[in-house]
Amino acid sequence: MNWCITATNCGNRKCSFAGKMATPMRRTLVALHRATWSSFKNAEGSLDVRHPVPLYLPVRTKKRYFVPPAVGLKGKNEENPEAKARAAGLVFRQQYFERPINIACTAGIFDPYIPPEGDARLSTLSKEGLKQRTEQIRQSAGSQLAIRKIKEHDSQFTTRSFAERAQEIFMEAHDALTQFNKEKLHSLVTERCYPEMTRGNRYKTISWRFVESLEPPKVVHARCPDMVTKGNLYGQVTVRMHSKQILAIYDRFGRLMLGGEDQPKDVLEYLVVERHLVNPYGRWRLHGKIVPSWAPAKDPIIKTVMIPGPELKPGQEFEALNYEVPKPEAVQWNK
Amino acid sequence: MATAMTGRGMAFIRNVSGVLHSRLQVLGPQQLSCLHTSASLESKNWERSNRKLYPPQQPDEDRRPAEIHHSRRQIKYSKDKMWYLAKMIRGMSIDEAIAQLQFNDKKGAKIMKEVLEEAQEMAVKNHNVEYKSNLYVAESYSGKGKYLKRIRYHGRGMFGIMDRVNCHYFVKLVEGPPPKTEEKTSFDRAKEYVQNLKNRTVIHSL
Repeated sequence: MNWCITATNCGNRKCSFAGKMATPMRRTLVALHRATWSSFKNAEGSLDVRHPVPLYLPVRTKKRYFVPPAVGLKGKNEENPEAKARAAGLVFRQQYFERPINIACTAGIFDPYIPPEGDARLSTLSKEGLKQRTEQIRQSAGSQLAIRKIKEHDSQFTTRSFAERAQEIFMEAHDALTQFNKEKLHSLVTERCYPEMTRGNRYKTISWRFVESLEPPKVVHARCPDMVTKGNLYGQVTVRMHSKQILAIYDRFGRLMLGGEDQPKDVLEYLVVERHLVNPYGRWRLHGKIVPSWAPAKDPIIKTVMIPGPELKPGQEFEALNYEVPKPEAVQWNK
Repeated sequence: MATAMTGRGMAFIRNVSGVLHSRLQVLGPQQLSCLHTSASLESKNWERSNRKLYPPQQPDEDRRPAEIHHSRRQIKYSKDKMWYLAKMIRGMSIDEAIAQLQFNDKKGAKIMKEVLEEAQEMAVKNHNVEYKSNLYVAESYSGKGKYLKRIRYHGRGMFGIMDRVNCHYFVKLVEGPPPKTEEKTSFDRAKEYVQNLKNRTVIHSL
């Protein structure tokens, strides 16, 4: 009780009067108590009532605007409440920070189809052309096995109807891409293909039109890989289609970047369509494209781009005449 | 505490609160919502204007010049000192601006040069700008960032609140050659002045 309780009552602990008034205060308190107790006794005796009357002695009635923090609060946050709970007997179940992931598509194209060279260049009348035309899918045994497996899960699977369906999916997917309808695009295109189709296109306008199909689409290849566990089957079917399309890409400001509105182009494509066979709600969706090694180079964009030049040592000069621009290797790649 | 306020002061406060209360009651709940619609502190509108998509242009229209907005926030520099540099590069082509800032002695010049180079790279990579030198500075200005307050101690127990200043810097690059400002010769200006004097008439006269 080292508070200053002088007449000013500054409430200061450090005040010079603080400790000095403690003992006289206690004496007065005791004296007061004795005095009241005697009076209390008298009152009781006169009134003949035997229940305790509470006596309120108002000491220190001034409202404290500043309550100092209790001593020892700084050290109290060291013990963690977890250890205390464990010591007390509370048991916490082990928390697993897991989240289930549903994999609905494979990561790539397994055992890709290698398109024969000069596929669409030879006419049907020549000898080589006939050979190519007579090469049907019955040749490759792997594809036959895969188609048999697919027919187990999906009874209505036929190569002819499926090829047309694949072309329809392709057209719908590209229409959704021009409108940028995310939900429809996700239902028509797998998760692996979606970023490849839409990367960099968010702030661009794409106008795409399918003019006509030059040859009926054909199923050329099929595989049934399984991921992680043995029974988790995915079916991948490659469809070859030859068609005329119009493509024009405009950048953020509406300026033409690639292609043209009036130039239909002949396009030979090998589409890979995939479905999670084991899943009853699985749908055939576009999974990717195969670009053969002998494919002709695409048209350049309407923009001059700087290519990084060769690394020069100090003192070496750049010879523009003898320098050849490096060309990319002709390798088949999956898009 | 009550003794500190005078009687007049209390009456004034009561009046003001009464007026405000009546005003707020007059404004319906729909009108109240428009008092502060855009969050002024968290909105980054300058960066968002880079996401604006224009419809494709017809082939007979003029080619729309590309506009790139870039900014840097909370630069440890004063906005008033930054303003001098921002005013200097307004209207310059980007190569000229970078050259001027490279040889300027101010602290903000180095930061501004970095911002301009970043914007140039962004323009070529993301916004389909063909030539990186074909850009000019259309808008450039500095704004106040969030200040930290500290105490500056004076004599005799007096103190002042010291601000640790921060600023933002905004720049807009547009594709194309910089616009030429026509410089009027002094003779032309004098001629214009005399012509203005001659054009004076008396209106509504008989």
